[in-house]
Amino acid sequence: MKKFLAIAVCKLGRAVGKLVGKGSSMPGKFALKICPDILSRIQLPSHIIAVTGSNGKTSTVEMIAAILRAGGKTVVYNEEGSNQIEGVTTLVLTHATMSGRVRADVLLIESDERYAAQSFRYFHPTEFVITNLYRDQLTRNGHPEWVYDAILPALSPETELILNADDPLSSCFAQGHDKVKWFGLDRCSFDTDAPAGVYHDGAYCPVCRAPMEYDYVHYNHIGAFRCTKCGHRKPATDYTATALDLERGTLTIDGTITIQLAFRSIYNVYNILAAYAACRCVGVAADTAAGVINNYILKNGRMQKFTLGAHRGMLLTSKHENSIAYDTNLRYIRAAQAPCTVLVIVDAVSRKYFTSETSWLWDIDFNLLNAPQVERVILSGQYSNDLAERFSFTDIPREKITVQADIPAAAAELKAAGSENVYVVTCFSDRDKILSQVVKEA
Amino acid sequence: MELKLVHFYPDLMSLYGSYANVSVLRRYLSALGHTVTVQAVAPGEGADISGADFLFMGAGTERAQRFAAGDFAQYGPAVKAAAEDGCAMLFAGTAMELLGASVTTKDGETFDGIGLAGFTTAQGSRRIVGDVYGATDLFPEAVIGFMNKCGQIRGVETPLLTSLALGYGNEAEKGPEGFHWKNVFASELTGPILVKNPRLLEAVAAAILARRGTQLPEEAATDPYAEAGYAITAEQLRLRAEAGK
Repeated sequence: MKKFLAIAVCKLGRAVGKLVGKGSSMPGKFALKICPDILSRIQLPSHIIAVTGSNGKTSTVEMIAAILRAGGKTVVYNEEGSNQIEGVTTLVLTHATMSGRVRADVLLIESDERYAAQSFRYFHPTEFVITNLYRDQLTRNGHPEWVYDAILPALSPETELILNADDPLSSCFAQGHDKVKWFGLDRCSFDTDAPAGVYHDGAYCPVCRAPMEYDYVHYNHIGAFRCTKCGHRKPATDYTATALDLERGTLTIDGTITIQLAFRSIYNVYNILAAYAACRCVGVAADTAAGVINNYILKNGRMQKFTLGAHRGMLLTSKHENSIAYDTNLRYIRAAQAPCTVLVIVDAVSRKYFTSETSWLWDIDFNLLNAPQVERVILSGQYSNDLAERFSFTDIPREKITVQADIPAAAAELKAAGSENVYVVTCFSDRDKILSQVVKEA
Repeated sequence: MELKLVHFYPDLMSLYGSYANVSVLRRYLSALGHTVTVQAVAPGEGADISGADFLFMGAGTERAQRFAAGDFAQYGPAVKAAAEDGCAMLFAGTAMELLGASVTTKDGETFDGIGLAGFTTAQGSRRIVGDVYGATDLFPEAVIGFMNKCGQIRGVETPLLTSLALGYGNEAEKGPEGFHWKNVFASELTGPILVKNPRLLEAVAAAILARRGTQLPEEAATDPYAEAGYAITAEQLRLRAEAGK
């Protein structure tokens, strides 16, 4: 009876919520109050795929859903990104019959990394994708090992783990776990011999703390790592990017499937690999997966083209408090050939209140912008002084750097003169402050 | 004059941009005309730290800290002797805990600090995060920073921040934070606290120079961006502290 009531309340709450435009976690919250173990009483689909990690969750989940649907499977997933237990409960109950059966082939869940253990207390995924563990939102997450410890209890021995072979930390989840499938990227033309960036999370083995060595590095500390002492190393991969040409935008998977990349970022490659691996694990054919991924354009697109006066511009969305996301976009700018101006905006770090937490600015390798084609760097937003202080420790010539705290003023100054390309580097939370000042391209 | 800064475990204890404390101190002292060298110490190298004018260790994960403690034990007598002699040092984040008598991990294991001070740390499974706005006896301006730790530190008799208007201290909300004795500065405030707090940077620089028989020039140049950034943050945190009263 409690089960019936919980489902009814959740469905009703969801319907009302949709009408008034409210979020999707409240109905699940009510249902959990009525029946705390409701999730263990539901008959779930035979495949439950969970995705967690620091970067790329939403994109990976979106791609998995598209591939599975192309493979003829019905999929239920949390498209709105409510990824804690309340949101997961809403998702499950909304798609359940009144008798408590979820009618779908696959339940697909984007899970908040800190709350995964709570979400999967009453059922466990059949496949669990962990994209990576990086320094990300340390104001909430403490540090990557803290997040590792939070995820660990969420992993059931029966679950097939789908792990990133190139990430020294998240690959540790395979220790003592029998069922593991690995995705990873073979050596590429743009690789370096040693880790790059301001800090070196690949310097020491996450298992035994002995120094680590690398055969090759794709970016930051991601690549073919090898502990000099305990044997922790990049494992052989099951799903592999065997060739990657970011300039031409071509990616070959497992030596047989070549696809065209709509978004030529190494980030996108890892998200594709994770999605590909997950879909292959649940029985989707390689060709079907390739057909979807080919030229796939993400709905939650992180690049936005625009014009501003005579300038052509591109906004590169970078999560604040996530140095690897920033570094990836800065490398993209560094690889550009044409003269450009770069506008970096940090206006709100927290959505709730002003915080003094700017330590992540010191983890970003802004020195990547010390390139001849970067003619000017404009620093804007409430934290423009903190940015300027950070930039004063780079090798970028001082005369190239301008500080304009006011974002509309920075846009107006740009608009008034020049026609060089403009790159804007900022977060989801701040990007509308500049997009409202430009003409967006479709 | 020639000044030697020693940076313990820069790659191991590297969370929250800790390294920037050394970068900004080096730049500040260089601008005063001194020749500054930074000696990085890696685990296992058994470095000679004699003649150091400043010692630094930054924040690390609790597992990195546990590993660092094993290596750092060999430097315990030298660090304590240097502290007694008035050598300036800054231990930031989890590095602060290593100055005390012991650290107990969230799994219940206890390991020794170097015992420069008698305080003890008990780490837990709750993460303590949040902005801090506090007062110190070193200068009239407020100290600003961000706390990101899981340890309760008990038994500090001489804190760096004597009271907090906002945030969590060594063992309590709005309680005293950090440790200060002679020229030993320690705080769990994470990240580049010397960048964020220009007065604290000056206090540390003055301590370094005082031991070498000189002092800061009366009209030392200040960094306009650091000052402006501090002013905005201090004002915002002050408003939050007052709103929370």
